Amino acid sequence: MRFVLALLACVACAHGAMSRQVASYDIKATLDTKTHIITGHEVLTWVNDSPDTVPALRLHLYMNAFSNSKSTFFRESGGQLRGDQFKGDEWGWIDIRKMELDDADLTGAIRFVHPDDNNADDRTVIEVPLPRPVKPGETIQVSIVFETKMPMVFARTGFHKDFYLGGQWFPKIGVWETAGFRYSTAGAWNCHQFHANSEFFANFGKYHIELTVPSPMVVGATGELKSRTESRGRTTYTFEQEDVTDFAWTAQPTYLREERMFLADKETTPQEVAAAAKLHGIPESEVRLSDVKMIALVQPEHREQMERHFASLRAALKWFGLWYGRYPYKTITVVDPPANAAGAGGMEYPTFITAGTFWKLPPESRLLEEVTVHEFGHQFWMQLVATNEFEESPLDEGFNTYSTSKVMDQVFNGMGELPLRFMGVNLWKLLGFPGLRSNSMNRAQYLLFPSGDNLLRPAWQYYNSTSYGINSYYKTGVALDTLEAHLGHDTMARVMRTYHQRWRFRHPTARDFQKVANEVSGQNLDWFFDQFFFGNRQLDYSVGDVINRQQRTPLGAVDRNGKRVVVTRKEAEAQDDKNDDNKNFKKQYECTVKVRRLGDAAVPVEVWIHFKDGGTEKRTWDGQYRWVKYTFLRGSEIDWVEVDPGRKYALDISYANNSWESDYNIRLSTSWTMQLLFWIQNISLWMTSLA
Amino acid sequence: MTVLQAIRGAAGRVALRKRMMVAYWFFHTLMAAFVAVPLAGVAVSNLGHSRYGAELARGFDLSWLVEVYFYLQGGPLAAILPMVLLAVFLLFLGSIFLSGGAVKMLVYDGPDYSPRMFYEGCGRYFWRFLRLTLYSMIFYGTALILQRILRKLADQAWGEGMEDHQLTIAGWVVSGITIVLFALVSTAMDYAKVRLVTDDSRKSLRAAFGSMRLVLTHLGKTMGVWLVLMVFLAVFAGLYLPLSNWLHGGGAGKILTLILVQQLYVFGRVWLRMMAWGAAVELDPFVRPKPLPPLEPVFVPVAPGPEPPEFLAGATAEPEV
Repeated sequence: MRFVLALLACVACAHGAMSRQVASYDIKATLDTKTHIITGHEVLTWVNDSPDTVPALRLHLYMNAFSNSKSTFFRESGGQLRGDQFKGDEWGWIDIRKMELDDADLTGAIRFVHPDDNNADDRTVIEVPLPRPVKPGETIQVSIVFETKMPMVFARTGFHKDFYLGGQWFPKIGVWETAGFRYSTAGAWNCHQFHANSEFFANFGKYHIELTVPSPMVVGATGELKSRTESRGRTTYTFEQEDVTDFAWTAQPTYLREERMFLADKETTPQEVAAAAKLHGIPESEVRLSDVKMIALVQPEHREQMERHFASLRAALKWFGLWYGRYPYKTITVVDPPANAAGAGGMEYPTFITAGTFWKLPPESRLLEEVTVHEFGHQFWMQLVATNEFEESPLDEGFNTYSTSKVMDQVFNGMGELPLRFMGVNLWKLLGFPGLRSNSMNRAQYLLFPSGDNLLRPAWQYYNSTSYGINSYYKTGVALDTLEAHLGHDTMARVMRTYHQRWRFRHPTARDFQKVANEVSGQNLDWFFDQFFFGNRQLDYSVGDVINRQQRTPLGAVDRNGKRVVVTRKEAEAQDDKNDDNKNFKKQYECTVKVRRLGDAAVPVEVWIHFKDGGTEKRTWDGQYRWVKYTFLRGSEIDWVEVDPGRKYALDISYANNSWESDYNIRLSTSWTMQLLFWIQNISLWMTSLA
Repeated sequence: MTVLQAIRGAAGRVALRKRMMVAYWFFHTLMAAFVAVPLAGVAVSNLGHSRYGAELARGFDLSWLVEVYFYLQGGPLAAILPMVLLAVFLLFLGSIFLSGGAVKMLVYDGPDYSPRMFYEGCGRYFWRFLRLTLYSMIFYGTALILQRILRKLADQAWGEGMEDHQLTIAGWVVSGITIVLFALVSTAMDYAKVRLVTDDSRKSLRAAFGSMRLVLTHLGKTMGVWLVLMVFLAVFAGLYLPLSNWLHGGGAGKILTLILVQQLYVFGRVWLRMMAWGAAVELDPFVRPKPLPPLEPVFVPVAPGPEPPEFLAGATAEPEV
């Protein structure tokens, strides 16, 4: 089977291509800005790279998610996404006017299917039985004439006035999964309906798109612009890109368009390249990055933010490249959607991302940088390591959250501050609020719903949208931070790069990542993955009782010089008094510490017990039983106890109960109480002013 | 009387009432402590013996707040929250109570201060001021409605546009207008309090509307005072905030200094509150329409009436019924 798959893979690889080009598209499309309708002709070239004979095709018609309120997307989302509500009556849809295969008209055979939720009203997936099955290794070309009506933008795609963002706009084939491919046990189509959360899983291919729009439009899209021809007030843009999984575009007449070059040799120092090569044990030539053309399409009122987009892209291209492998495409386009089209912002498509910002966003707020770096990061996870976002969204969003945080901390010193300014005064700083650290923000959001769902679930089957977000983004980010703390920075860096490189232009699963982690670290990490990736165990260690008992003279019948002597209470007390008065007497304490596992996750953990004489005892507890007791006979009492002192387990839901110290923190309690009192006094005085 | 004269006069009045200000500050602090201590207790019980506390004191971590929330939700938090809400309500009532005494002492022209007089004012005017607070809701409500209307208008004009900046600027303008409207109502209520005390009147509703009319008809003077006091507040805050940032996270000495600086700032705010009332007391006689003087008796010569009919004895007298 493996041999057959490898053979078919070679067949599927075009000359010089980096991926198996299974699904390629040649589309000619024209946008009518009066009706907001795209009329298009698509030639889909599909290679059956499996050993199966495929009797039918399945395609996504995702624009139908916006056709009415009965679609699965609308039912799940309630007609809103990330706070943007669908308003008005500009619905969207896609119709296939004609579908042909080798002169055979398939149009009449098209039927809608609903593999995820049996919602008969959902029209986002079609199945087309073929006149004859596609044999293993065979390539077919399907001709499709389609018409797409763009919706008013509120969820990623659509239009607002003369702004257009074309995502999920053309008929797109699903992924045929043969037995042994990902989790598949038998050959079948993996073609999910369009859901409120998550939207990507596709084969790699070559895209050749000719898009015709009114000439005043400024256009940006996936891939490289090959030509631009104008005729009778309309301009046709031809874009091409190989080895990608999707194609998106944007058009707006008032975009400010600028280009900059990411010059690899200027952006990286030889020392950085050498350090990365040494860390991964690979030649420097393998680490070196390539030059990339960066294109920004920015709203005129955000003119002064243009360079911030380029700086963010530079940071992301450099560090993602050095850590995981060079960005293999020649362009990256960042789009800044206008006001009232924020729903199109913060999105990722191959070599094409959309940003998120505000007018006069202060430089100390890193919102723009964070969004741009994050959306770029998807190029490395959703795009290059093309996991199934429907079924394992954390492998894209979560891995990207982890990577984004690292870039933000490395380059921008975290997430900066919230934009809190009044008449030019930075109130955030003036009020003494701390800077926002990325990992701390991730942990804060994880703690909102730490174990309500398994980390990995189909995106539409989480408890709710919040749980989807927390698990897909933040909990995964925190879990990877935890794994890094456990393995150490260098090992984790090797795990991540190996995983990325091994699965680049392929479609791995969480189990594949687990295998790489085990292999590269040389450890069996199944305990980690089983509890936190595939399960939903809650981690919470706590210091329980700490008892220091001074050793007193023993009572009763004791053995002294081989003779049994009965020590009475009176004698013992007298001896104790004598000892207490004797300054040279060395007191002994029986010190007992109990450490508890309050959560249901069991992980090996370090416990440090520090004594007042300066000595420290270090223990490692496997955490298997609910608690463990340590007893020491020492000349001094316990000063403090700390579980997981290196803060390896960011997944621990409480840091506060991980330690105990004998001295009550009067400074903290006084300081915080007085701080709180101060603010309440102020609020009270405002109330007095108003009343 | 000019704005500066009013401020100077108010400063003089307030300077005579130092002991009252201390009492006002003390009771305010006491009431605030009823809210602060249980809340701080949550933090301290969570961190008092934890090494994480020292770490947070060095560099605060927002995730701790969520950690506390996660641990307390449904349990202690559910028990603490109603108590805190009740304490905030009592704090609100306490503020109204204290303001009665403060305004009374500021209106009173004598040099001496006695706690008896202060508390007598607190008790005497509490219900009047409470009613006044309730009536002030009419004005605050109107201000909020106006704000809503302005926001809606801005939204209609620019809400569907392709640019942020018009709506953002409009938002700033509307927020500014709302602050000024709130200041206007607050100032009017200060004058209403002064009026209720000066006239020893129970007519809170009449005082509220009368004072609002007064503030609107003497906008320059009344709001001028508010503006000057706002400048004072900005100066106080400008001095306090950088200093407190510098003192944060320090040793015991710095913590004690910070507490002192914080309470000085609060005392400064108490002074500003007294100044607002004091200025209202100063301005009130000059801006309040004078009541019409009582009508003096006018001598009206009585016109000689018709001569009584001549009594005619035994003539046609009517019998009494």
